[in-house]
Amino acid sequence: MIELTGVTKVLKGQSEPRTILDGVDLSVAAGQSVAIVGRSGSGKSTLLSVVGLFDRPDQGRYLLAGQDISRLPERRAAKLRSSHFGFVFQRFFLLKHLTAAQNVAMALVNGQGWLPRRERRARVMQALDQVGIAHLAKNRPAKMSGGEQQRVAIARALVRDPKVLLADEPTGALDTETGTLVIDALLAATSRGCALVLVTHDRDHAARMGRIHDLVNGVLTERVPA
Amino acid sequence: MKRFSGRFRSSLIIGLQGIRARKLRTLLSMVSLFLGVLAVVVVQAGASIAERALLADNELTWGYDGTRVIDMPPEQKAVDAVLAAVKGRSDAVASIGVQGIIGEPGVRPVNEGGAPIGQSWGGAVCYPDGRCEEPTGPQGAAIEVRLTALTGDIRQFRPFRPVSGSWLDFSTVPSMAPRLVLNKEAAKGFDQYDVPAEMRVNGAVANLTPRFVGVVDDGTGEPRAYVRADELATWLPNANLVNPNMGGELRVSLAPSSPIEQVLVAKLKGMGVEPYVDTINNREEQEDQLRLMRLIFFSMAGLVLLIGVAGILNVGLATVGERVEEFALRRAVGTPRSLLAGIVLAETLLTGLFTAAAAIGASALALKAVVLLAGGSHPILDNVQFPWEAGVAGIIAGIVAGVLGGFVPALRAAGIPIATVMRA
Ligand SMILES: Nc1ncnc2c1ncn2[C@@H]1O[C@H](COP(=O)(O)OP(=O)(O)OP(=O)(O)O)[C@@H](O)[C@H]1O
Ligand SMILES: [Mg+2]
Repeated sequence: MIELTGVTKVLKGQSEPRTILDGVDLSVAAGQSVAIVGRSGSGKSTLLSVVGLFDRPDQGRYLLAGQDISRLPERRAAKLRSSHFGFVFQRFFLLKHLTAAQNVAMALVNGQGWLPRRERRARVMQALDQVGIAHLAKNRPAKMSGGEQQRVAIARALVRDPKVLLADEPTGALDTETGTLVIDALLAATSRGCALVLVTHDRDHAARMGRIHDLVNGVLTERVPA
Repeated sequence: MKRFSGRFRSSLIIGLQGIRARKLRTLLSMVSLFLGVLAVVVVQAGASIAERALLADNELTWGYDGTRVIDMPPEQKAVDAVLAAVKGRSDAVASIGVQGIIGEPGVRPVNEGGAPIGQSWGGAVCYPDGRCEEPTGPQGAAIEVRLTALTGDIRQFRPFRPVSGSWLDFSTVPSMAPRLVLNKEAAKGFDQYDVPAEMRVNGAVANLTPRFVGVVDDGTGEPRAYVRADELATWLPNANLVNPNMGGELRVSLAPSSPIEQVLVAKLKGMGVEPYVDTINNREEQEDQLRLMRLIFFSMAGLVLLIGVAGILNVGLATVGERVEEFALRRAVGTPRSLLAGIVLAETLLTGLFTAAAAIGASALALKAVVLLAGGSHPILDNVQFPWEAGVAGIIAGIVAGVLGGFVPALRAAGIPIATVMRA
């Protein structure tokens, strides 16, 4: 589904440019799951932001479903983000003033505006159901536990049926048990054909992915299973 | 188009969500903007009301816009030509002013020279050779009016306001006892002095016994009485209408496209009478009077509005600063920058419109209260409606303030990098 070859990201700081990603090769097929592990500051989030089209690589090639999207104008990138990607972050980033259902529906807004109300509601409820919190649809984030909030965030990522799910330390703010529930929800998506890239510090969570990659100073290497 | 409306709708819906989530902030923005929009609404309302009042007064005094007016010296041959020209026409009315004294015979009127009641212009009569004669005889219960003989209904050109009684009826057979309509100033004289209904007119074959049928407001400050020319003619032959020593006026008012204008003007010139032709244009003349005033007031209102815009801008920027994560997140899930800017703009725009609605409502209510409390004592406030121009001005002010105050925050919001969501 995604195929990165020789992707390099250089940060042009005030003093001297710093290479944050150095010739990263990464390919994840549909239904596959990959864990990215590495020390803080090694560039994991930066890698996800390139994969998720928040940012473009300075060098290298990025294919999405066989299409070269290494250099994409922002307008088309926004469209692809909405049609192909789902994101989950360490902090849940739910909007306080919206209910769980409205937070999920937010991801249905794109350049074309909104889907019809009925279809919107059906998809929102389906996504909430997939992460097991359909009964909380009308609650606001303030009334939900961290794990519930994170699952709302996952539902928001899933509501558009993404081809690629990107998660940046989604369990970082949760206890182990709740974290496991969240990883369950993410893995469930791969069983429906979604590719998953998970950045995590948790060995157990990493071990549940199909593959593990280590990122050290911007260089990505696949860990050979022991 | 569909795409646009979809975006427009989403911006409005999401903007409204944002407003509902931050009611206090929205309220603060509205408070800061309220005075500005209110100032614009009030200035526009005041200008419109003043303009209408001024226009109504000017129309009363000078005539409706577009009316053609021919003035000429009151010479006998001009009178004859004019009367012949307007005879039987509905689009032209001649008015001939002569002196009339109503009251006790043989006494001098209380307002010699036709002065406003209570003022004295002195009664000296001066002749073309420079010789002046002080009047003789006792002053008594008589009032001098400018008696204006009309060949038709002048109200098609000047909207006299009825005060009491009725206006002259031009459709009936002329009556032997001339019917008179007084203006307010003349009526004031009759109120203050007990004056018998006998009228002396220079050149009349006998004293007249007029019937007073009504009082109108004609917008002039000197006492006047209006009479049908044909009713006056019974007593005062046309040949005696003008008296070179007494002065007088001779005017023809015409509908804009009356065909007799050219004919009459040519004829008068041929006789050696120099007609002075003019088109009534109150609006244009008023414009000059009002322009500077309006400029000053609108500049002041604009300044207050600008302060309000600064308030919205301030709140808007603070809000965007607080909502960095929300906007970054929205971009992450695929909301295009333009829509994001649209959301912010929609919020300030809606805030501006709400403020406009509040300001318009407040000033409309205030106007109603003022009219209710002070109406009657100030004629300018009679029947005053809230002018629609003020509503439009308020809405425009609200939109302008919303766009101005939302523009910079919208750009900021659109420029927030998505990666913010990963670094937070
Ligand atoms: N906008 C930026 N300006 C300056 N430096 C940046 C910026 N973004 C990233 N960096 C630097 O790039 C490096 C990689 O950052 P990144 O967030 O990808 O690390 P990470 O592996 O996700 O770390 P963590 O595990 O703590 O989240 C860091 O050294 C960071 O300081
Ligand atoms: Mg990170």
